[in-house]
Amino acid sequence: MKTLQRTAVAALWSAGLLGAVAPAVQAQTGPLRIGVVTPLSGTYAPIGAQVKMGLELALTEINAGGGIMGRKVELLYEDEEANPQVAVQKAEKLFQQSKVDFLTGTVNSGSTLAVGQVAERNDKLIATTVSFSDAITGDKCSPNVFRVNAKAGQQSVALAEWLAKDKPGASLFLLGPDYEMGRSTVAAFKDAATQRGIKANGELFAPLDSKDYSSYFGQIRAARPQVFYTSTAGNDTVRLFSQLAEYGINKNITMIGVSGAITAQNIKAIGKNAEGFVTGVGYTPEIDNPQNKRFVADFVKANKIAPDLYGADSYGVLYFYKAAVEKAKSTETAKVRTAMEGLKWTTPQGEKTMRAADHQAIQDMYAVRIANGDFTIISKVQGDKAIGPSTCKRW
Amino acid sequence: MVDPTIPAPRRRAGLATAFVVLALLAALAAWWTGDTFYLRLATEALIFGGLAMAVDLLLGIAGLLSLGQALFFGFGAYLSGLLLRDAGLSFWSVLAIATVAGAAVGLVSGVIAIRARGVYFALIMFGLAQIAAKAVYNVQALGASDGLMGVPVVRIGVGPYSVSASDPLSFFLVVLVVIMLMYALLAYLLDTPFGRNMQALRANPLRLSFLGFDPWRYKLAAFVLAATIASVAGALYPMLRGFASPELLYFQTSGNAVITVVLGGVGTLIGALYGSVILFGLKSVVGTYTEHHLIVIGLLFMAAVIFFPSGLVGALRKKK
Amino acid sequence: MSAWLESLQFVYAPQVVNGLSLGVAVILMALGLTIIFGLLDVINMAHGEFYALGAYLGTSLLLTGLSFWIVLVLVPLVMLPVGYATERLLIQRVFHHKDRHILTLLLTFGMAIVLEDVFKLIYGPNSLKPESPIQGATELLGMMFPTYRLFLMAVGLVIVAGVWWVVYRTRLGAIVRAAAYDRHMSASLGVPVLRVYAGTFAFGVALAGLAGVLLAPVYSVFPTMGKDFILMAFSVVIVGGLGSIKGAIVAGLLLTQVQALSSLYISPVWSDPLVFGIMVLVLMFRPQGLFGRLGHG
Repeated sequence: MKTLQRTAVAALWSAGLLGAVAPAVQAQTGPLRIGVVTPLSGTYAPIGAQVKMGLELALTEINAGGGIMGRKVELLYEDEEANPQVAVQKAEKLFQQSKVDFLTGTVNSGSTLAVGQVAERNDKLIATTVSFSDAITGDKCSPNVFRVNAKAGQQSVALAEWLAKDKPGASLFLLGPDYEMGRSTVAAFKDAATQRGIKANGELFAPLDSKDYSSYFGQIRAARPQVFYTSTAGNDTVRLFSQLAEYGINKNITMIGVSGAITAQNIKAIGKNAEGFVTGVGYTPEIDNPQNKRFVADFVKANKIAPDLYGADSYGVLYFYKAAVEKAKSTETAKVRTAMEGLKWTTPQGEKTMRAADHQAIQDMYAVRIANGDFTIISKVQGDKAIGPSTCKRW
Repeated sequence: MVDPTIPAPRRRAGLATAFVVLALLAALAAWWTGDTFYLRLATEALIFGGLAMAVDLLLGIAGLLSLGQALFFGFGAYLSGLLLRDAGLSFWSVLAIATVAGAAVGLVSGVIAIRARGVYFALIMFGLAQIAAKAVYNVQALGASDGLMGVPVVRIGVGPYSVSASDPLSFFLVVLVVIMLMYALLAYLLDTPFGRNMQALRANPLRLSFLGFDPWRYKLAAFVLAATIASVAGALYPMLRGFASPELLYFQTSGNAVITVVLGGVGTLIGALYGSVILFGLKSVVGTYTEHHLIVIGLLFMAAVIFFPSGLVGALRKKK
Repeated sequence: MSAWLESLQFVYAPQVVNGLSLGVAVILMALGLTIIFGLLDVINMAHGEFYALGAYLGTSLLLTGLSFWIVLVLVPLVMLPVGYATERLLIQRVFHHKDRHILTLLLTFGMAIVLEDVFKLIYGPNSLKPESPIQGATELLGMMFPTYRLFLMAVGLVIVAGVWWVVYRTRLGAIVRAAAYDRHMSASLGVPVLRVYAGTFAFGVALAGLAGVLLAPVYSVFPTMGKDFILMAFSVVIVGGLGSIKGAIVAGLLLTQVQALSSLYISPVWSDPLVFGIMVLVLMFRPQGLFGRLGHG
């Protein structure tokens, strides 16, 4: 038994080390390798799935068009299990073993921040297409981290603008999961809304993974709001909305919330209770321009489901990198970084600008409503109006 | 009379030396090929091996199954992260503080937890770790759900030399030394009269009390030791990865430690380190083929429990 | 005075009712756990996963078009052989070692890991939610409560009463209790002890599965749902006394009410830790719980 163990250990070591030598042989003339560290298992796996689908579509298109600067592009996937501890291991593996030139795919902000640190230590760049915590391009910004998707602040502005126009002076109740992200999204929206004349008359924070929200319904009823905002996500939203409907609380109330509250992952489970829900997003398949129409058609053909914001932004990130490398005429980190700052590139959402001050993409934002299971656009806010001032002070 | 189920000290020493030799050979090979990733992965395996050693001390030596040892590991990690980032302390100071603080926290929680035995103890530890994880998750000052970011790279001074934690080979050797020192201390302790009494906890606590010794005291000692070891191991983590996050306190971390101990051989202490390398290797290899690596690992674990319980039973001969 | 009555009606009563509907879930889970421990001395760490299995089976069966009521009966029936096989093929393997407690704990812990990943493999990670079979709300004490939840409480009561009756008033129950009290004596009296074990485990697991189906329309179905109630169920079992049915019921009601009412005074994040804290106190000062064991209680 012990000899078996010793042999096993020795075998594993040797296998690992052999694996270490092989990729080191690949030099700079081979294909361009881009690492993708994304949750392929676990609660966030559906998001990871959309990320993968978006990236794959862009990959096929780019390679069909001759690649980036004549080099083919390769995507290397690793499962981060939505755990920063695993994410950094995999990111390191991709940077040091597989020698990727660029990395993307992280979903939760903890992973993005941790992988950002790894990127700094390895002098490489990463971009996120999902994480929307303001801190990533705010007080925790990093010179090696870029964000291609809209952040929470932009989403709040889009939603608040619509709300102020559609229901001026309405009374608002806010509910969020009781952790950093939940609290900060509620706070950000409350700010944006009250600045525009909406009256916040109650807020409440329920533990993450709450099974039963009915204990809060007394409080919500007492507040008699016209509008109800939630920043729950995944199963929490399923339970919240079902239980609100069960108790009849959602009658005659406009339900709104953060963009991650209702997505392809849970919309089926929420069913008809999702009808009428309004949120602020940077993407919806309905955006009416030729790139998006083509993108949606190609995406549906390849994957049999519609793209969501994660799929679209992940599709866009490959083109972002392509544009930067072509502008810099190199894959060297410092040159690409300079090229990325201030870069304008075309995406299904139209033209986006990467702001140099905080590495945050500026884009037009929309308020969308769920009608018959689809997200329909009901209002739009211009890119530079939606984005606030930069709060990043590191450079 | 020699209890054949505890590996004789000589056998234990043999396995331990083999481990160190293998580790040094691997480090040499890595240095030769210029590898950095596998060295750092191995370092992480050693760090979590330290946590597993703590679990093995409790399970294999004292007969207590802890399903929440990650509590102390996470405590050490956050403490270390804070001290390095906000107080700019040195490597040795951080380790010293992690040792003392870990022992203190171990003492306080031990007094509560030791009152329960067997299965109840397992559940209490599980619950304590859950509560701590929840608490950390919600505290802004500790980075809340994002975790404690921005822990700087620390320099480790050994006499006139100093190495950086970001140098994979040097830090691997440093961690190896720290972990093996803890192992050696434990092995030494187990051979003293005090240590032998502690081992009697699992073999025959009734006889222990008949002989005039108070089992409670030995249990508490084992608990505090295990907490300290886990805390020191945890303190090494942010030095390697530059952050600490609430996930370090989750049940998954504690559960992995238990799996590690079972796969490596309960009660041997060195088995925990072997087990950690095996588990890391398994996850890495199986993970490249399928996202469902947990099924494979879970089944292997169940097989180990079913087919090699003699390793477990000998170590677990304790009273309820 | 009337302000007090009003708060009783609008603040406390809803909380009590909510606690009761949560209580049904927890009690059904705890019953299965405590019966399995009471007879087999086995701590089933995979109990939550059997709860999830019931929910998933139920959702699948509902998709084939069967009515909810048929599914409600079908799922526990399907779970019975699953539980029986698990006990005979897996648990019996480690049963005869002196430390079956820890070995079975570890084994079922491994089972839980595997099961959760199997759910992800088969059903994917998205949430599913079957339609509630009873729609609409009823007025009770001036407040509206979903009718399905009231139904749940009634059904829960019936099931608990049924379990009690089977265990304490039937010959089958007597056999089970005898085997729990003294295995060897029962065997020498002709009780097929091995089959009783497997059957009891199957029964406990079927209860968990039933809870899963009943609650799926309320709490939705997803791979990690086994962890939703497990800490609570274990707390109930321990506070009530490992192996005591009466204990599971009383502690179940007590602890869920504590959780529901405490959320009025302290931040809800802390109500789980509060329940856990009660469990710790009980373990420290009265480890046998409120009522002791199945064989002896």
